[in-house]
Amino acid sequence: MTQVGGLGPGHRPDEAARTAMERSNVYGFLAAVYRSEPTAALLGRMKSPDFLDALGAAGVALEQDLLGLPEAELLEKLAVEYTRLFIGPGSHIPPYSSVHLGGEGASLWGASTAWVKRFIEAAGFEYRPDYHDLPDHVSVALEFMQEITAREACALDEPDADEAGRLLSIEEEFVREHLAAWLPGFCDNVVDQARLPFYGEMAKLTKAFVESELESTTPLS
Amino acid sequence: MVSRRNFLKLGTAAAGASTALAGTSALTAAKPVTITGGKDYSPRTGKERQAIPSACWQCVSRCPIIGYVEDGRLVKIEGQPSSIRTDGKICAKAQAGINQAYDPDRILYPLRRVGERGEGKWKRISWDEALGELAGRLKKLRDDGHPEKFMFHYGRMKASSSKLIKSVFLANYGTKTIGNHTSICEGAKWTAQELTWGKHYDNWDFDHAKYILNFGSNCLEAHTNHTSVAQRLIKALADRRVKMVTFDVRLSNTAAKSSRWVPVKPGTDRAVALAMCNVIMSEDLYRGEGEAFLRFCKATPDMNATTADKVAALKRHLAQYTPEWAQEMSGVDAELIRNIAREFANTKPACLVTYRGAVAHFHGGETERAMQMLAAITGNIDNPGGRCRAVGAKWKYPKGPKNKPKAKKLKILDGAKGQAVLPTHHMNHQVFNMIKDGSAGRPEVYMWYCYAPVYSNGDCQANIEVLKDESLIPFTVCVNPYYDESAALADLILPDTPYLERWDWEDMVSPKQVPEYYLRQPLIKPLGEARNFGDVCCELADRMGFPLGISSMEEFVKLSCEKTQAVKAAGGFEYMRTHGVWHDPKAKPKYYSYLKEVKAEALAKDGVILDEATGVYWNWKKSKAKSAEEALAKGYTHTKNAYKGYVGQLIDGTVYAGFKPDKVNKSGYFELHSGIMEDKGLAPLPGYVVDPDHKAMSADEFILTTFKVNVQTHSRTQNCKWLSEIYHDNPAWINPESAAAKGIEDGDRIKVKSKIGEIETTARVTPAVAPGVIAISMHCGHWEYGRYASDKASPFGAENDLEYRRKWWKSNGGHPNWVIPNDPDPISGQQRWMDTVVTVSRVAAA
Repeated sequence: MTQVGGLGPGHRPDEAARTAMERSNVYGFLAAVYRSEPTAALLGRMKSPDFLDALGAAGVALEQDLLGLPEAELLEKLAVEYTRLFIGPGSHIPPYSSVHLGGEGASLWGASTAWVKRFIEAAGFEYRPDYHDLPDHVSVALEFMQEITAREACALDEPDADEAGRLLSIEEEFVREHLAAWLPGFCDNVVDQARLPFYGEMAKLTKAFVESELESTTPLS
Repeated sequence: MVSRRNFLKLGTAAAGASTALAGTSALTAAKPVTITGGKDYSPRTGKERQAIPSACWQCVSRCPIIGYVEDGRLVKIEGQPSSIRTDGKICAKAQAGINQAYDPDRILYPLRRVGERGEGKWKRISWDEALGELAGRLKKLRDDGHPEKFMFHYGRMKASSSKLIKSVFLANYGTKTIGNHTSICEGAKWTAQELTWGKHYDNWDFDHAKYILNFGSNCLEAHTNHTSVAQRLIKALADRRVKMVTFDVRLSNTAAKSSRWVPVKPGTDRAVALAMCNVIMSEDLYRGEGEAFLRFCKATPDMNATTADKVAALKRHLAQYTPEWAQEMSGVDAELIRNIAREFANTKPACLVTYRGAVAHFHGGETERAMQMLAAITGNIDNPGGRCRAVGAKWKYPKGPKNKPKAKKLKILDGAKGQAVLPTHHMNHQVFNMIKDGSAGRPEVYMWYCYAPVYSNGDCQANIEVLKDESLIPFTVCVNPYYDESAALADLILPDTPYLERWDWEDMVSPKQVPEYYLRQPLIKPLGEARNFGDVCCELADRMGFPLGISSMEEFVKLSCEKTQAVKAAGGFEYMRTHGVWHDPKAKPKYYSYLKEVKAEALAKDGVILDEATGVYWNWKKSKAKSAEEALAKGYTHTKNAYKGYVGQLIDGTVYAGFKPDKVNKSGYFELHSGIMEDKGLAPLPGYVVDPDHKAMSADEFILTTFKVNVQTHSRTQNCKWLSEIYHDNPAWINPESAAAKGIEDGDRIKVKSKIGEIETTARVTPAVAPGVIAISMHCGHWEYGRYASDKASPFGAENDLEYRRKWWKSNGGHPNWVIPNDPDPISGQQRWMDTVVTVSRVAAA
């Protein structure tokens, strides 16, 4: 029996499946954080005690002063902060890989955009026709990982070790080649530029998680 | 250090949260998850690159291009080899168009200001929200009977975009408070052309010219028809060894490539031109082609004057403008003026070139009129090798609903009363002054499109103060894919598509004198939520309850292809999409069109009458006259909009097409002597008045002049990193003689001070500029417009942006407009870019 990857050495298949599902959920949560200005539903969920505890355990210290604001005011503040950080106009931190990865230089729709799009499409996904943002938006990369890891969990559950192994190798390549290449730096900038603690904390979490993911990949032989 | 276990705990807590709470996700599983079954991509280039014909927009030349697309990504732009205008060539700016699409500082979503105006605090909003608010405000103005309080101000808007936005949308909305930018470009030149030969724009036929005389045009580096014109000029100079003489205050690259550069004191080109006319008339060098052309010229008040009368009148008028006199005015040697005048008159055909160096001055329009005279008396008008009337594509297009409201206008477009006599292209540099003054009313909504009012006009500080003031302009809307100095003062930003993502039909002038029809089509899909403003206008009209019957620019272009017979016959929209350009291979180049005789049927048409005073046949029904009697009583010259009914000009018993008027009621003659000028109390024949500012200046002062370079377009290409890498700094050129007098050495920091302010810059001491002149290019010193233009490092600049780290240049130069006042030529309203009197001093080292 093949050892299922480096993401959970020693785990039994059912444990491995659970790990994959948990990873998927973290990715999904982070994708939601970066996808758009926070929604009332997302904030509501985050404010629940179990979620706050879990965030706390993951090193996230969300300021109660901020979370305690009336909902409309909080949403407005976060929307303005999101716009300032990720949309502009003027100096902002474009949430697209190609702006941050060197190669042909900082531009939208750069070489890494094409790489991400190809990679995601080659893995069997398509961009929704009504999705208008760029293919290499940070939330897409995170959502892609959410989807792939969820599929890995299903494969482990079947169990279909070959399929799980194949998915794991996609994950590992994506983490190594893409996420780890730009997300930590991107997150540092967000931490640096955030005026409200929310995105700074989320960025710290994202960076730490991506680094942990990288560490857990199978060493390249 | 957070343990991995704790991350995974978060995963448990977040179970269900991500999908349930995430909003719309981006991905969908299209197929079973498999690597081998996915799409196939070649490892390096991916799919075969798609080649899509389209049109550039980096400058007004709008050259046909081909864009190469790989994986949905625009990777390369080349010229369109089938274009008869460009012959497949494009410039650096066109190639760098890719930077416009992929500018990392581009605006991808509608934005609403949330703080104070200009504070820089924004919130992303949906298009629905943005257009809901805008349509609400605009509809209220319209419903209240004040559509004119919606001011629309464009910088660059051409062809189908101009037609759909201006002629269809704004016309149906009912505002004529529509500003343009021509008076900060070359408005004086066009006013002068309207006074002399009618519709503006001159094509220089370098393909056939044997001699070229240039006053103040840097056409090898910058021109409104740049690539088409520059390559023909270079061929003339290099292949055919054509002689070219350039008068300029500065050794531009065009001057450098000329056979001779003649430095001239700023604003005195007219003196040189008048002296050349003097030489040509007094030495009878007009004989031959010039004399023949005089038959079609008006040179005296008498419409029926003989050529001999005209010659006598011109000789009389020009006698005062001797080369010796011109030498006093301009500093150009009198003998040199004589020799060049003789060469120009004796070499046939010869092409006379002028641009902003000659006309962006006090009485700049008079300079252009003098130039028209110089070309006319040597017979170099509308002839092969001469100065020709423009030929461009004539598209037909859908006009929208039949019953348009009677449009209203705020009288703020033409400056204050008496500020300029004939501002036929308006005075956009005075719009903010007029708004501040308020006596002619103020717009409630001020919207601008492809225009940088703060940066591009003179006196930047004054522009900022007006645009920022909510008590002067309650609501400001910027249509722009980028965040520039003006967008920073908007209340609402609508992210337009850069030209690489949109539709248009195009019509720029053809140097072959054969019209070229061409298309702009999207090379890539709009990024983010960028939307073409033509499409937005269609939706705004729907929202306000006056649907245009057109849903998008694409449909407008399609319908135009149907309506334009020649294009339709060639294969219509599908042909244009596939081939990009079309011209009639059988068409003959259009020269001498004034010689065409008007057919009897055209004269017999209902409403056509002969104006005895001018010899003009015109259709009074196309004018503002209410009846034939009124038209006859008032006459052609004094009936409003009579020029719109112009049919032909009676000359010695024959009715010729002549020189059809535009904007003013000029006759069909080529008018050297202008009755319109005379009516306004001005000299009917071009003459000379010294610039009062220059007359008053001391020997110690300088004249500030501006210029363009080959890799930047006025204000709007500096965000392109490939271009800003080449050109990003603009030291002030100063002659060694002048510099020495001020103790200035090359590289010194200097202060340039005018009556409105001062700037600090670096001196470039060079003999390539005339003494007493300080020359600063106009492209630099942006303080917004993205990281490459403004040199404002983006927040992620320092750490991991490899490209930004590679940005080796430190300065982004300085903008001269801070010290250039918005002073108009009192005749044409032209902004006097090249006239500002300044003092220059060395900044003591700290």
